[in-house]
Amino acid sequence: MIEVKELIKKFGRKKVLDGVSFTANKGEITCLIGINGVGKTTILNAIMALTPIHGGEILIDGKAIHKDSYEKITFIPDAITMLPQMRIADAMEFMADFYESWNQERATEMLRFFKLKETERISSLSKGNTAKVNLLLGLALDVDYVLMDEPFSGIDMFSREQIADVFTSHLIEDRGVIITTHEIHDIEHLIDKAILLDNGTVLKAFNTEDLRESEGKSVTDVMREVYQG
Amino acid sequence: MKVDFNKRDPVYVQVVRHFKEQIAKGMLEPGQEIPSRRELANQLKINPNTAQRAYKEMEGQGLIYTERNLPSKITKDEKVLGSVREELIVEAVDSFIASIRPIDVSVEEVLDLVKEKYEQEKK
Repeated sequence: MIEVKELIKKFGRKKVLDGVSFTANKGEITCLIGINGVGKTTILNAIMALTPIHGGEILIDGKAIHKDSYEKITFIPDAITMLPQMRIADAMEFMADFYESWNQERATEMLRFFKLKETERISSLSKGNTAKVNLLLGLALDVDYVLMDEPFSGIDMFSREQIADVFTSHLIEDRGVIITTHEIHDIEHLIDKAILLDNGTVLKAFNTEDLRESEGKSVTDVMREVYQG
Repeated sequence: MKVDFNKRDPVYVQVVRHFKEQIAKGMLEPGQEIPSRRELANQLKINPNTAQRAYKEMEGQGLIYTERNLPSKITKDEKVLGSVREELIVEAVDSFIASIRPIDVSVEEVLDLVKEKYEQEKK
């Protein structure tokens, strides 16, 4: 389980996160929802210890993040971090050198699933295919937790569908996933838990199936109530 | 298998309903093996946890059964199968009544129209 407790983060005088708390379980997809600039990416950066925090605590399976945690948790940023002149094969080799948890078998399987060729250069890929390679590099790690920042933004409908398919497959199953989005539409029925954020706080957190069951409301309905009500 | 899910009913309830429809239509036969939880999630493009919950619900209702480590199967229980069909019919009639009631029309007039349309559809 990933536990975020009373997280505070300031940029200069501005408090971007003001006491954010939530948990994300293994085997579940937790979705951080909020408009741009609400602090979603900052939360992911904070979980990965990529940015200093000014208050609160983050625990992964009960422990604060440490050197070895990076073999257990991975972060897929919204833009690929590999050098453009690299071929897909080079990028995979880079990951294999860096991480013990790299699983080439799974990477090869995903190449096939996404219909990508490992000889292609990152710079020559379409936006959709770049997003797929980015996803592949993270998901091919045998880690318990995967954080994904806006995996659906700015790509075509068919690529989005293909990426959504990953969420229903064994590539995700049994892992704990935290995903951020400002566009819930594609994945509304795929997520287990929704965390609605605004002004650096959690406005509402709920289990999506429970809410449909008890109140007959979609995630979009709740978003309208919370953000516009 | 492609199912259009609405956003307001629990997905697992919609999956159970989908299975009931398949059973009532005879697309799924008594004793027929059903996909594993993982396969179902993949086919219907749903969260594996939801597939799990749907199967648990169906097991609870006696729609499917699992013997030891074998794949789950559709029940052979005639009573359960009969009630599935009835349940779907009653549900459809209920929703029809709900949409026709606000209109000022007599039962006789409606029934005649239903009969006429029903016969036409068959041809």
